[in-house]
Amino acid sequence: MENFIAANPLREGLSTQQAPEPCALVIFGATGDLTHRKLVPALYNLAHEGQLPQSFAIVGFARRPKTHDQFRAELRDAVAQFSRFQPINPAVWDALAQAIFYHQSEFADAKGYKTLDEFLRKLDTERGTAGNRLFYLATSPTEFIGIIEQLGVNGLARMDRAHGSPPRIIVEKPFGRSLPTAQELNHKLANVFRERQVFRIDHYLGKETVQNIVALRFGNEIFEPIWNQKYIDHVQITVAESLGVEDRGGYYDKSGALRDMVQNHLMQLLTLVAMEPPTVLEGESIHDEKVKVLRALRPIAPDHAQQFTVRGQYARGSMAGKPVPGYREEKNVAPDSRTETFVALKLFIDNWRWAGVPFYLRHGKRLPKGVAEIAIQFKAPPAVLFAAESPVPLQPNVLVLRIQPDEGIAIRMNAKVPGNTVNLQPVKMDFRYGGSFGARSPEAYERLLHDVILGDSTLFTRRDEVERSWQIIDAIIDGWNASPAPFPYESGTWGPAEADEFIQRDGREWRRL
Amino acid sequence: MPNRAQLETFAAGVETAVDVAQIERQLHELWQLAAESEKDPSQRQITRDCLFNFVVLCETDAGVAHATEVISSLTSRHPCRAIVLSAGSDSATSELSASISAHCHLAGTGQKQVCCEQIAIHATGQSVARLGSAVLPLLESDLPTIVWWQGSFLERIDLFRRLVAVANRVIYNTSAWDDALLQLAALARVITEYPRCGFADLSWTRSALWRQLAAEFFDEPHCRVELSRIRAVDIVHGSGPGAGVRALLYGSWFAAQLRWPVAEAQTKIHFSESNDRDATSVGIVSVAIKTNDATFSIRSNHGEDTASVTVDMPNACGLPRKRAFWRSDDASLLSQEFDRSTRDPVYERALAMAVAWLEERAR
Repeated sequence: MENFIAANPLREGLSTQQAPEPCALVIFGATGDLTHRKLVPALYNLAHEGQLPQSFAIVGFARRPKTHDQFRAELRDAVAQFSRFQPINPAVWDALAQAIFYHQSEFADAKGYKTLDEFLRKLDTERGTAGNRLFYLATSPTEFIGIIEQLGVNGLARMDRAHGSPPRIIVEKPFGRSLPTAQELNHKLANVFRERQVFRIDHYLGKETVQNIVALRFGNEIFEPIWNQKYIDHVQITVAESLGVEDRGGYYDKSGALRDMVQNHLMQLLTLVAMEPPTVLEGESIHDEKVKVLRALRPIAPDHAQQFTVRGQYARGSMAGKPVPGYREEKNVAPDSRTETFVALKLFIDNWRWAGVPFYLRHGKRLPKGVAEIAIQFKAPPAVLFAAESPVPLQPNVLVLRIQPDEGIAIRMNAKVPGNTVNLQPVKMDFRYGGSFGARSPEAYERLLHDVILGDSTLFTRRDEVERSWQIIDAIIDGWNASPAPFPYESGTWGPAEADEFIQRDGREWRRL
Repeated sequence: MPNRAQLETFAAGVETAVDVAQIERQLHELWQLAAESEKDPSQRQITRDCLFNFVVLCETDAGVAHATEVISSLTSRHPCRAIVLSAGSDSATSELSASISAHCHLAGTGQKQVCCEQIAIHATGQSVARLGSAVLPLLESDLPTIVWWQGSFLERIDLFRRLVAVANRVIYNTSAWDDALLQLAALARVITEYPRCGFADLSWTRSALWRQLAAEFFDEPHCRVELSRIRAVDIVHGSGPGAGVRALLYGSWFAAQLRWPVAEAQTKIHFSESNDRDATSVGIVSVAIKTNDATFSIRSNHGEDTASVTVDMPNACGLPRKRAFWRSDDASLLSQEFDRSTRDPVYERALAMAVAWLEERAR
């Protein structure tokens, strides 16, 4: 009988296979933008889908004085504005609101953590949260280490119960701003938490289409045999933004495009495209394969930075017909700033599969449109059959994984133009998620928060991934420090002309997006 | 060759009569015209999408109108080729008539419309027997076929057998059947005859949240031990059409999953019809699972689209709470079933238990 009830027999066949354990989620930085725009709307969406634990509590931890009810009212407005389920369902919201609390304290005040501990214990009794704790660092990164230390000193990182899960901590990006700072943060985390308790967020990994990279590669037999240096000419990974730095000038000017986007999001995309098949579709196995890719990435030595990278900075221009200021004219940006807002890299992965295949990474702000995609460009077919007949050279096949907007997959191939001549033209087979699966995908934060609650770290980054990635980025930054300022480019264009020359030197072109 | 105006009419969802033998050709020409329009940005941009064949069997004109409405709602999420069949076997004339139309939706952020085609075929008199032969050539090759039978397929078993041979799934709603309880045994026999086809009863799909909520009671290990101590399961249902079948399937599911023999199930599970304000309800009104130390309750809240969940036991697993019901209109239930691609052994076990229960009671 004991075996029979080891698993819940009533769960068989239901869409939700595992009910998450009861828990309390403490959000540090609860009055900030991230909490209002992303986290609480995502939690509401999970509640709407019935995916939150039966016994659950959200405790907002922040400096400003506020009552529970004031906090709830603010969050209700945020949910009404940012949830994907509109209009707000009063029954779902009311049930969630009863689980929302506010705890006022300075982040560095030990007393605030002691009273937090007492409050969480009270919730364990009153709301059945069973001593399970999740701590979400949604503050400015400068607060991370202080909060981690306070959690440790005040015993909040300990599991002091006979059953349940150890506390988990979720760390928002940026995870450090260099290898030493990332190592320091990892070290502080390791003093207080074990690695399996740490969830480093890279919200790109929560996107449905990013997860689909693994599904496409390993769920289809036709791709994997040609997914290597024998058939692939090069890979282009582009994350373009049409926005400027907006109100993040102060942060961005100390960070720049390479740290802000490439170290995390683009590197993660690269590892998913390049990794070997994991032995199982589970966190550790996937992390192991991703780290192998990062270890095989050929570092760009500082004195080679000019050869393998291009950086740019947007100047005045126009977006959608409206004039926009240059980067140096943005609020909180130094007028002589050398911070890059555009970066193009050429990377090589020195392993059997990818030897000699360049990976071109491109990211920039104030580019003509917001688009993110991975393009696998295959080698051109031998032209012997069609060279004489076709007025244009044969185009190589391209497989495009579009991440945003219009998530989908496209394949470019050559087809004969109808008629009496043997004239070939490229055609595109286009699969769009929006068309074929009309349902709106869960927001990235929904998926990630759900996984944290379940304790699944697959879509988070591991310590060694982060550190290896910073190692590569730091070497590039060292090289840049000894080189001229970024090339200016007009806002609303695809980056500096030098970026075009950069790839043209290899006989290739950036994709027109 | 159709012209641009005909394409616009088609894409606007207006039915165009067409000869049954010409359906495929007519559709091909319309889509070809749509593809040519892509070169002209001044024209409405439309493209076709199709992930499966969706064959709908309707018994009445109202059923056809309902099916069209449901298909229009479903195709934005589940693009398909819809083939709506209706039979008027009482008619003295023998005719097979057809029409085509499209359901179009704006896709993603762009201005391009994604369209799905609907083919309607109406048969009267002797032509009803030819419906099967009219459908088979219209099925898109290499795509799954899902059949939604609005009435009881047991009443048109010849046509059913013709279609089930090419179907991956058959969806029906026993709550809408006359004397459904009397037909469950025959249904269970048919299901076992076709092991390669999945069968789904919307009456069962509709109880998914009730099953989910009952399961959630026992996720925590210290609550799960209560499963072996259950002494009674009280299921109250409304008196509306199909409520009794839904309740029986639910109780049978509970017993089958806990591997209770029929005799034990009949001792522990009690069904009753609600006499109060919920009497007209077509579904389950409340469930109470009782052990020696605990009572686990789910109750639908009158006038609200919610259920209240309570646990009465020491060291309660979860607090009293409310859960919003999932939508239970046909489009929403079908959408849930489209997401499943295989047979549902849990449903089949529940159905087998329900049949055994009825047979035992009849003795």
